[in-house]
Amino acid sequence: MNKTSLQLAFKALLAQKTRTLLTILGVSIGIAVVIAIMSAGRGLDKMVMSQLEIYSPNTITVEVKVPATKKTSSENAMGMATGITITTLKERDLIDVGKHRNIESAYGLVIGQAVVKYQSENKTTLLWGQGYSFPEVEKFQLDSGRVYSKEEEESLSQVAILGHATKDALFGEDEAVGKTVYIKGKPFKVVGVAAKRGATFGFDMDNLIILPAKTMQKRILGVDYFINIIAKVKDREKIKETVAEIEEIMRDNHDITDPNKDDFAVNTMEEAAQMLGSVVDGLTLLLVALVCVSLLVGGVGIMNIMYVSVSERTFEIGLRKAVGATNKDVLWQFLSEAVILTLSGGILGIILGAIFALIIYLVAVSYNFVWVYIVPLSSIILAVGFSGIIGLIFGLYPAQKAANLNPIEALRKE
Amino acid sequence: MSLIKVTDLCKEYVNDEVVTPVLHKMSFQIEEGEFVAIMGPSGSGKSTLMHILSFLDKSSCGKYFFKDRDVSKLNDDELAQMRSKEVGFVFQSFNLLPRTTVLENVMLPLLYDGVSNSNIRVYKAKQALVNVGLEHRLNYYTSQLSGGEKQRVAIARALVNNPSIIFADEPTGNLDSKSGLQIMKILQSLNEEGKTIILVTHERYTAEHAKRILRIKDGVIESDEKVINRQIAQIATELAK
Repeated sequence: MNKTSLQLAFKALLAQKTRTLLTILGVSIGIAVVIAIMSAGRGLDKMVMSQLEIYSPNTITVEVKVPATKKTSSENAMGMATGITITTLKERDLIDVGKHRNIESAYGLVIGQAVVKYQSENKTTLLWGQGYSFPEVEKFQLDSGRVYSKEEEESLSQVAILGHATKDALFGEDEAVGKTVYIKGKPFKVVGVAAKRGATFGFDMDNLIILPAKTMQKRILGVDYFINIIAKVKDREKIKETVAEIEEIMRDNHDITDPNKDDFAVNTMEEAAQMLGSVVDGLTLLLVALVCVSLLVGGVGIMNIMYVSVSERTFEIGLRKAVGATNKDVLWQFLSEAVILTLSGGILGIILGAIFALIIYLVAVSYNFVWVYIVPLSSIILAVGFSGIIGLIFGLYPAQKAANLNPIEALRKE
Repeated sequence: MSLIKVTDLCKEYVNDEVVTPVLHKMSFQIEEGEFVAIMGPSGSGKSTLMHILSFLDKSSCGKYFFKDRDVSKLNDDELAQMRSKEVGFVFQSFNLLPRTTVLENVMLPLLYDGVSNSNIRVYKAKQALVNVGLEHRLNYYTSQLSGGEKQRVAIARALVNNPSIIFADEPTGNLDSKSGLQIMKILQSLNEEGKTIILVTHERYTAEHAKRILRIKDGVIESDEKVINRQIAQIATELAK
């Protein structure tokens, strides 16, 4: 493609401004969709991964389940929703899991719901009873204050850490640490306020109150069981053996010999990550397929316009050939036009796509999702590269038609 | 060395297996510096002959030597190169590019002649336009010109590559008699300067501006003779008006 054919192509495109603009718009929409989808894919990925981020891949969970149901959490939840409560996950299990040589730290979890009161403010909030060692197991950051201590948990102290949104709802701008809130009518001293965490697995991790697990069991719920034990392994390489060994410990504790009668399930976060990862992969594949269609449509648009252009300019082509243009000269001129059209469409598409992606980002953030706004370089390269190639492929046939015109017949078409 | 040497040249068109012969075994020579009119009624094959002579079309049989080079053996690209280097065209319907200035139209052949320096292209095109008296119309669009001016632009375009030969296909056909005369005047003076000119026409009066007339009828040469009472376009004074 030489300078002359590029200049000629530019001139010809400028001579048909409206048509050129409309064609570029057609291509750019396809490209914009690519950019927006790839950017949104990154956002989705970030959202999914941020949900898992709280738990490191070194995490093992022991959860209760209705015996003989499958292993997944959702089916467990269905079992529990039908009214069966499993109460067999006890303090003893937590201690034994914590003693395993590959377990660095473990804590028990209970969940409940209660009305929380501070002065005139009332708020219904999730209560998370978490063992004092939970910050060793999962990522946890405080905005202010501290986490309760082992001694406070052992002595069933009435202390609480407020979730970010809960603190805002009850205290507004005021300082919360040191104040007393009433949970189920009982006074709890606020020792800390959690940093903003977003939503995880459908739980709003900001609208909750974290209490020592034992305090929650004894003072609020009046129970002695956990629903989950969450543990962190020392050596990730040995996580599979560790899971198997913990299953044995649990069966021992619960007098179970038949694994089909397990009233617990031991899962790793890695499994959860893999499952979510495959869902995201599937979604991406589907979107890529859709994108390919829109790019093809843009390509056909280019081909169509180039055909019209060749038919309209038959006389011009004939004249150019008469004064010495070779087939190759004509081919390059028309090919240049197609490539300029698609590349301009690519550039406009990148801009439009970046704007679409920004809108998606703003909507996602307004729904409180953890999202990122990135226009990946790979999407720009893909968009420009793909549009250039589409221009070449779909421009080639009309350009060849132009190049092979017989100059005498072409000149008759004035 | 003859500029053009044609022996037993023929041309037939094949359409849906129906063969239509247009030219039958023509033989003639044209020397450098000649002004030849190819004259004949419509359908006689004069345009087809011109297309073959000017490298726009290929013959079906026979030989065509241009400057001793066998043209029938050239491929498409080589023919394009011959058109670029050796010939200039003036057409009945001017064939100028629309929405394009006079200067750009005249520069067009230089694009394909490897003149990559645009200053040189502009310079050469201006020179050619001075030769046809249109230096005051450089940046006009072709649609703003009169018929006679358009044809003069076409002549400038034909001249810009300094070709060996100029083919003029009914150059006065779309013009009033005064403009037509102007064009013939320019062609005659170009011939005086040494350019070989081949004029295709069906009018006897126009053909008589040439020095030699090849009469063609039904694809054969009917006569080939010198013009005795040559018409000289005398409009030098009128041009100034």
